[in-house]
Amino acid sequence: MNRNIERPPQATAVRSSPGSAGTSRLLDRRVETVVFDWDGTAVADRQSDASSIKSLVERLCSLGVDLAVVSGTNVENVDGQLRARPDGPGRLYICANRGSEVFIADPRGVRCVFRRTASTQEDAALDAATTATLDRLRTRGLHAEVVSERLNRRKIDLIPDPAWSDPPKSQIDELLAEVETRLGARGVRGLPDVIAMATDAALAAGLPEARITSDAKFVEIGLTDKADSIRWMLSELWGRGIGPGSVLIVGDEMGPLGGLPGSDSFMLVPEAESCAAVSVGVEPGGVPDRVTHLGGGPETFLSLLEDQLRRRVSLEMPVANHEPGWTLTIAGLDTVQERTHEALLTVSDGRIGTSGIPLGDHPSTTPEVVAAGLYDGEDSEERMLLCPVWNRLPLEVSQADSVRRHLDLRTGLLHQEMTGPSGRIHAVQFSSLSRPGHVVLRADGPPDVRLSGRPLFAPVGGEEETVEEGAAVWIRLRAPHGGVVAAVHERELRDDESRRSRLDRFGVYQIDTAGLPAVEPAVRAVSMSATDGFEEMLAAQRTAWASRWEDADIVIEGDEELQLAVRFALFHLMGSVADVGEAAVGARGLTGHAYRGHVFWDSDVFVLPFLAATHPESARAMLEYRLRRLPAARARAALEGCEGARFPWESARLGADVTPHQAHDLAGRIRDIRTGLEEIHITADVAWAAAQYLDWSGDDIFEETRAKELFVETARYWASRISVDEDGRGHLEDVIGPDEYHESVTDDAFTNVMARWNLRRAARAVARPDDPLRLEAGGWLHLAETIVDGYDPTTGLYEQFAGFHALEPLVMRDLALRRPFAADILLGVERVAAAQIVKQADVLMLHHMVPEEIAPGSLLPNLTYYEPRTSHGSSLSPGIHASLLARAGRLDEALEELQIAARIDLDDLTGTTATGLHLASMGTVWQAIAFGFVGLRAHEGRLGIDPHVPPSWGVTEVRIRFRGASVRVHVEPGSFTITSDRPIGVLVGGVELSAGGDPGTRFHLEGDTWEVTT
Amino acid sequence: MTRVIAAIDGSAASRPVLDAASALAGMFEARVESVHVREGGGRMARAIAEAADVEYREVDGPVVKALIEEAAPEDVVGLALGARAVPGGRRPAGHTALDVIVTIDKPVAIVPPDARVHAAFDRVLVPLDDSSESSGAVAELMRFACRGDLDVLILHVLDAASVPLFEDQPQYEMEAWLQEFLARHCPTRTARAEVRVGVPGQEIMTAALKAGSDLIALGWSQQLGPRRAAVVTEVLEHANIPVLLLPTSIVGLPPGGAVC
Repeated sequence: MNRNIERPPQATAVRSSPGSAGTSRLLDRRVETVVFDWDGTAVADRQSDASSIKSLVERLCSLGVDLAVVSGTNVENVDGQLRARPDGPGRLYICANRGSEVFIADPRGVRCVFRRTASTQEDAALDAATTATLDRLRTRGLHAEVVSERLNRRKIDLIPDPAWSDPPKSQIDELLAEVETRLGARGVRGLPDVIAMATDAALAAGLPEARITSDAKFVEIGLTDKADSIRWMLSELWGRGIGPGSVLIVGDEMGPLGGLPGSDSFMLVPEAESCAAVSVGVEPGGVPDRVTHLGGGPETFLSLLEDQLRRRVSLEMPVANHEPGWTLTIAGLDTVQERTHEALLTVSDGRIGTSGIPLGDHPSTTPEVVAAGLYDGEDSEERMLLCPVWNRLPLEVSQADSVRRHLDLRTGLLHQEMTGPSGRIHAVQFSSLSRPGHVVLRADGPPDVRLSGRPLFAPVGGEEETVEEGAAVWIRLRAPHGGVVAAVHERELRDDESRRSRLDRFGVYQIDTAGLPAVEPAVRAVSMSATDGFEEMLAAQRTAWASRWEDADIVIEGDEELQLAVRFALFHLMGSVADVGEAAVGARGLTGHAYRGHVFWDSDVFVLPFLAATHPESARAMLEYRLRRLPAARARAALEGCEGARFPWESARLGADVTPHQAHDLAGRIRDIRTGLEEIHITADVAWAAAQYLDWSGDDIFEETRAKELFVETARYWASRISVDEDGRGHLEDVIGPDEYHESVTDDAFTNVMARWNLRRAARAVARPDDPLRLEAGGWLHLAETIVDGYDPTTGLYEQFAGFHALEPLVMRDLALRRPFAADILLGVERVAAAQIVKQADVLMLHHMVPEEIAPGSLLPNLTYYEPRTSHGSSLSPGIHASLLARAGRLDEALEELQIAARIDLDDLTGTTATGLHLASMGTVWQAIAFGFVGLRAHEGRLGIDPHVPPSWGVTEVRIRFRGASVRVHVEPGSFTITSDRPIGVLVGGVELSAGGDPGTRFHLEGDTWEVTT
Repeated sequence: MTRVIAAIDGSAASRPVLDAASALAGMFEARVESVHVREGGGRMARAIAEAADVEYREVDGPVVKALIEEAAPEDVVGLALGARAVPGGRRPAGHTALDVIVTIDKPVAIVPPDARVHAAFDRVLVPLDDSSESSGAVAELMRFACRGDLDVLILHVLDAASVPLFEDQPQYEMEAWLQEFLARHCPTRTARAEVRVGVPGQEIMTAALKAGSDLIALGWSQQLGPRRAAVVTEVLEHANIPVLLLPTSIVGLPPGGAVC
């Protein structure tokens, strides 16, 4: 357990000086959004001049603040008074008609983005309820009038008296007294009684969830209220990466009024618990505990906005999100664990990755920036080129300093605080997902601390040029093939009011994998970033990440630790893979240099499926990496005397095999490395990855063109590699399967069955009657039928390779050793080779990847047989076993394996996390949940769903993209619901149907079978 | 100038002790002072010291108490003493040596009587487990070792409890693992490193022999007893070269940490 990793703190309330209306520091931090009531809060009445508000709104939006008016009136009333047309990056929302509509105002005008439309029955019911309420009041001798029939509500005037036609909010006390007097005179016990009448009337009219509100003069019966507005806003903001902890709610009727909740108190919904809440109203009945009462009306509200403006202008730091399940906090600087922590805190954007070093220099830190696909060295010595470092400040961390780093997985922002003798220094940095290759840092420190200095550092030994050009500094590094230019622009200012130094730093990395990149484009790009500014880059970053999470998040209720670990895995998976061009995804992605950035089956089989199912553009980019290296694969096949394309076990820049021939293992012994020669299943794995992309995306064009070429070439390889004996049976000799403890085996079940699958898949790709390859495909199909797969129908077992059953029958239990463990290290290579100990899922991998190629019902016997023999010596193994154990209904064991897989890097189980995170293991975490526990499977145009989730998970939700549709699968005990933005074809309980849409299709468990709930 | 105390008793072990003390003093840029605790055999001890051209003093016993007092002053940076009087004597070391090493919180070189010690240490073997205590103690040695050409071989021995959970691709796992191991435990010096699998004490001896080491340096908790300091005990028992024991307390760490 990594003891430096903290749970997120409780959200803190706004601190302010009560009754200090008019002071400039009414809040102690900047907020990202201000949600405010209109009448009585922003303006005194409908006739007030709102030009000051307009000016502040437009200025704040230009500096990235979102503003949202929440009003009971219609948009024309609000906009007619406000007339603001901000141009971003912040937005102006007008939530009108008491929760029924939302508009956005910008230079194009005011447009509706949401409207709740009442049905005919609902409208009729509102009329009936209103009439009934008026009747009840009339029977008491009270004259009330319907003054408006607004969208989704009816408004009753309790004092239709010219003297009280438009009372100002400042006279609320007098108004309330008058209403109470009139009601009391007729035997009505105050406003609560009137509300009760209206509620009963609504219920009788068929509106059990009617929203009844009052501001003393009026009673409204409606379908929505301000709670709907704030919920819509919080959902909208969350979708743009802004959490409720960064939101300020301002009203003037937060407290009770005449025994009824104030109209603005409806904004204090549970989801807004971590929002700051302030009242500027009179509040005769006081305010709830969580609301800060400032009073002062619109003047105070103006001061609040002015204060937020000043904070923006002075480059104040955005406050970190602390939403549970979304933040990884590392407290302190542990000299032993520091490099591990820096890897965990890596921020990346698909193009570059930057380690999460502390703000100041320390002997234990290892600053590192790597770029996808950029290598130093040649052939098997190719390794990731270390790029210039952009995120250092001219500070030093000493033992006396307190250091805290906080990674917000929702937005990709890394926040830091360092407190020491010189004071407190904050920073936030990110690698822009919306503009890959662009990086941003903002820092804030005491006035006597210099934050600017040397903004770029070349790695040791790099061949560099460094120049300052105006405000930009750049470093260019040459690689044997290609290079990188890093350019940085920064500006520093001293804020006299806050007495702080502040710095904004922008960086750009221009990467070229073929030739030395020119400097000018990088310098120009960084100048543009600087011109766009921190707030625009920040807003774009938040939105980009929120958009990715919209299609990729997994929710697990009931296990907070696992929830965070899962999101941690998904975060780094998303950050490590580009979505344009080609994506070379090394074993550690962009989180470190270990494994030299070389590409293994890790990427195709363990990383790609997650992206195919959530962001197919990235999966396509990964396939592009392979497709561009088809020529090299063809050359390799030819070298072996084979046809078609044979992909290398280990690949780097050119796609040639870069597997070394010898190496020291962890026991210090020199070993021959035969994986490059014999682990040929990689060829089928690449084809399988392409099939995964097609199954999830439905990309027909790709299927007809590039994918077809890939399937055909890989099939040709198998057709020429498989040897047919005199009995007509196909064999593959001298191979290594996923279980690398056993080399040079014959008829490895995984390799043979994957080859068979590959042949059949290629035949399908050329199945058209007019396809010129149909004849050749006939040969593939015939060959596929002959391939030996080691299956014994009497036992249901697949023999892992010819002769496996004759090996020493060791199971892990016999060795009394804890799992996982690297058996070859402890027991020796020779011993494990002579025994039935298996490094990782091999036969079982077939059940995971190609269940349609496997004998039905064979999962259980093979799981029973191979699971006890598996040492899990590979970090890829626990997650896959978790998936299969879940499919087999062995949920407790599945959960145990999932926990291991999810903690591999967080607990540094390998001792190597410091050199990069285990991206493929993270992929297995997603697969275990999506494929295993939730039982998702994309196949032949349908999405199969068959959940088996642990009882300890209250709610599980998986978000995916399937054939262009955004889909959510929400699982609860005994049921699940599919919602999507359009119906999709699903396969549930053996039945094909169209499901999804909104509100979606619900299924429940009937015995052991899922049935549609009607 | 700082001192290394060579505790000699006039036995055959005395000369190697003096040689080891001299070599240690060379590492620490200190001078050697030999001390004999009078329990008899003083003339021989004096003669051996004079032959080695090392300053000689005699003090009164009991031996262990006297040596502890001699090592106490701040300018004493280390102590060298014989493991036992004669080869084949008490295992793993004589009671004097054992009593001294559990008490003195300074580097103590235990010298086997049959050790052949050169004028300077050239190759030191530094076994490290994966604890900050042991590497912290060794880091102090590295700082004291002012000679830039001292060949340091870091050795880590994996056993059933410490073998990593995973080894994905051997060609890179070792590279990554060792890089991080050295960064954690030996950040201040460039050193060679080796990993072995087996019983730590045995593997240390094998590695020392293979590497031609002339000194083994071990961080330890100064606690002997059942299931404590098994590696230290085994190395002292079998080593035919000096063993430098570095208490974890010399870096301000609490003794009793699970080290060797």
